[in-house]
Amino acid sequence: MQSDDSRIRLEHVSERFPSGLHALEDVNLQVAAGEFVSLLGPSGCGKSTVLRLVAGLDFPSSGRVDAPALRREAAATTAFVFQDPTLMPWASVFDNVYLPLRLAGRTRKEVAGPVADVLALVGLDDFARSFPSELSGGMRMRASIARALVTQPQVLLMDEPFAALDEVTRNRLNLDLLAWWSARPLSVLFVTHSVFEAAFLSQRVLVMGVRPGHVVTELRIEQPYPRVASFRGSTVFQQACRELSAAIESVQQGAPA
Amino acid sequence: MMRLLSWLTIPMLLLGWELLVRIAGIPPYTLPAPSLVAQTLWANFPSLAASWWFTLKITFGALALACAGGIAIAAVFALWRPVEVALFPLAIMLQVTPLVAIAPLILIYVQSTTAALLLCAWVVAFFPILSSTLLGLRAADPNLRDLFRLYGATRWQRLRLLLAPSALPYFLGGLKISGGLSLIGAVTAEMVAGVAGRETGLASRILEASFRTETPKMFAALTLLVITGVLIFWLFGALSRRLLGRWHASTLP
Amino acid sequence: MNHPRWLTLAVILLWMPLVIAADRVTFATNWKAEAAHGGFYQAIADGTYARYGLDVQILQGGPQVNTAALLPAGRVDFLLAGNLLHCFDNVKNGLPTIAVAAMFQKDPQALLAHPGQGYEDFAALKNAPVAFIAKDGQFSWWQWLKVAHGFRDEALRPYTYNLGPFLANRKAIQQGYSFAEPIYAEKQGQFKPVVHLLADHGFSTYSTLIETRVDTVNSRPDLVQRFVDASIEGWVNYLYGDRRAANALMIRDNPEMTVAEIEAAVALMRAQGIVDSGESLTNGVGAMNQARIRDFHAQMVRAGLYKQGDVDPARVATLQFVNRKVGLELKSRLTAR
Repeated sequence: MQSDDSRIRLEHVSERFPSGLHALEDVNLQVAAGEFVSLLGPSGCGKSTVLRLVAGLDFPSSGRVDAPALRREAAATTAFVFQDPTLMPWASVFDNVYLPLRLAGRTRKEVAGPVADVLALVGLDDFARSFPSELSGGMRMRASIARALVTQPQVLLMDEPFAALDEVTRNRLNLDLLAWWSARPLSVLFVTHSVFEAAFLSQRVLVMGVRPGHVVTELRIEQPYPRVASFRGSTVFQQACRELSAAIESVQQGAPA
Repeated sequence: MMRLLSWLTIPMLLLGWELLVRIAGIPPYTLPAPSLVAQTLWANFPSLAASWWFTLKITFGALALACAGGIAIAAVFALWRPVEVALFPLAIMLQVTPLVAIAPLILIYVQSTTAALLLCAWVVAFFPILSSTLLGLRAADPNLRDLFRLYGATRWQRLRLLLAPSALPYFLGGLKISGGLSLIGAVTAEMVAGVAGRETGLASRILEASFRTETPKMFAALTLLVITGVLIFWLFGALSRRLLGRWHASTLP
Repeated sequence: MNHPRWLTLAVILLWMPLVIAADRVTFATNWKAEAAHGGFYQAIADGTYARYGLDVQILQGGPQVNTAALLPAGRVDFLLAGNLLHCFDNVKNGLPTIAVAAMFQKDPQALLAHPGQGYEDFAALKNAPVAFIAKDGQFSWWQWLKVAHGFRDEALRPYTYNLGPFLANRKAIQQGYSFAEPIYAEKQGQFKPVVHLLADHGFSTYSTLIETRVDTVNSRPDLVQRFVDASIEGWVNYLYGDRRAANALMIRDNPEMTVAEIEAAVALMRAQGIVDSGESLTNGVGAMNQARIRDFHAQMVRAGLYKQGDVDPARVATLQFVNRKVGLELKSRLTAR
């Protein structure tokens, strides 16, 4: 159990890379346990950098990052889903999903159950033996999410995971993602540049600006879960989208086209 | 129709050659006709086959050593960059120095002639494997690398589960090249050595035939060499398709 | 000048044939220029070939070069054949070539060994653990050594014309020309090697033969005769006369030679009777006889290098251009001084 409610916390975080790139300046944000938070903003606003800091893949130049990955309380507390499904092309779907457990030292026999479960969850139970090249884009993304969920992480980081998919698939995956999230104790930090997606999925949306990346504004989406497809037609949704779009507009004014 | 034509190319060339020799009356010691070469090959097959076997042994022996050496060194280079910076220039030096220049030296310093031949063939064969395997080890998807880091993979796990499979297509590409080079190295080294006696390869037989002006026999031995080269190419192509078949762009339809 | 113009023209016209008449001839040797080619270079250097109306170009051979193929291909007019085995091979394979003179009465092919290792006796050589023999030797006279004298392939190592391995291993033996390698070995290894001439143990071939195409013999016998005679005179002058110009020419072609080495070689050539001994003493340098060719052929058949009937010994050489006592008078003049 956590002593502190906030699972993820960034305090006055700045990030300057050796190449000279000033990615983030004085970023403060929090994600509470079990919260679904989106980061929304144009290219170059440092959204991906925030995810990498939370994952412990990079370290801040100044400020403090507090997240399970950095606390090392348990192995594989944090999962990452990239925009590209990032599957190992030489391995079957089963072996891809098995990877995090294998790296932790578990044998194939031990994990047969959990892997089958998570594959069923994402709807790929018939494809355990298939290879990534044999799957469609949407199915590969499901496999990537299955791999993320197989270790039962506390934190799920997603970097524009559905941006490369067509709208129909994306909408379906949005619904499925909410279903998977709500079924377990999981904090999600979701990066997107789609206003609609951010509004549909999240409880809170953080809008970020560029040069250097910083949090401009925050919006709460007051709509209980489970959210269904018809939510997209509601006034709450449309109002949220208008406000978010306006926020993005003002951010873009400062940035070159 | 096109497929039939492509199969006919070589037979047509051979027929053309045969006709040229007959019509122009070219003497057999200048350019023997394919029919004469085939006859000579058949008549001398037992002894040519023994030499063929020896050349094959050297070629594949050197290739195996080149794989072992190339992969091991590439792995070391991939995992420890300072070592690569220090030693890669040596590897390049070995590659660019012409074999015909090094071979006599190797023959002087190494006692056993067979070991010297293996070493000569190894020198030409190992660099493509080293360089392509190293490239492949580096070519691992950066996102996958991050993923491995995220899940706390050890260096050894990284090598075994990520770098090695990533490098496989590149390694196989290098292997196709090295297969042919190993054969050339074995033949060149033997040409320089001019080894005669019990254990001799096809190169010695070519030399011997050349010195005794037995041109049809020279061509017969050359034919065996050509067949070997083609077989090697085909063999590694098939191996590539087998290993990469289901997943790599180079072998998918 | 009171000569009428037509007289000048007539004089020019008379001289022109003589100038144009110098036949261009290419002669390919089997190695880089060395003492074993001395007589040929002499005939160029002292104008003997020119006096016979020949403009001779020498094309050197070398360690990686096989000049033998140039003769049947028509690229050279005459070829230096190291020994009769080469001529036998040509006849066996139906090449239209023939030997017209034998400049060496004895083949200088020899085996060298370190002194004090028991190799003073020829019979001990076959037990040497290591024998450095070069490519062409491996495929020819080494086969004869195996059959006639019991040498074994186990000892065989490639000789790449580098003395290093032989000098480093006291138990090793290697091949060489009797008047060449021993000199280099002594210079580099600081010892006098034991030298066994194969000719003294049954290898009775002629050496340094002049070979040409059969159709040249048939269509231009006069050219062949002139080349043979001039070459004979060249050898006589080289061995017994002033050879400095020839040596200079050889060094220009092969800068690795030194005058000292060449002179030492010539001394050995004379002492061993390589060029001038036996028949040549009465019939002139270049002498040949069919009986000796037949006998050598029979020996090689016994040694398994050829099958009976592969080679017709009568077609190997023609005697029409030699045994005419050419050069004998020149020699007695030179040696009388």
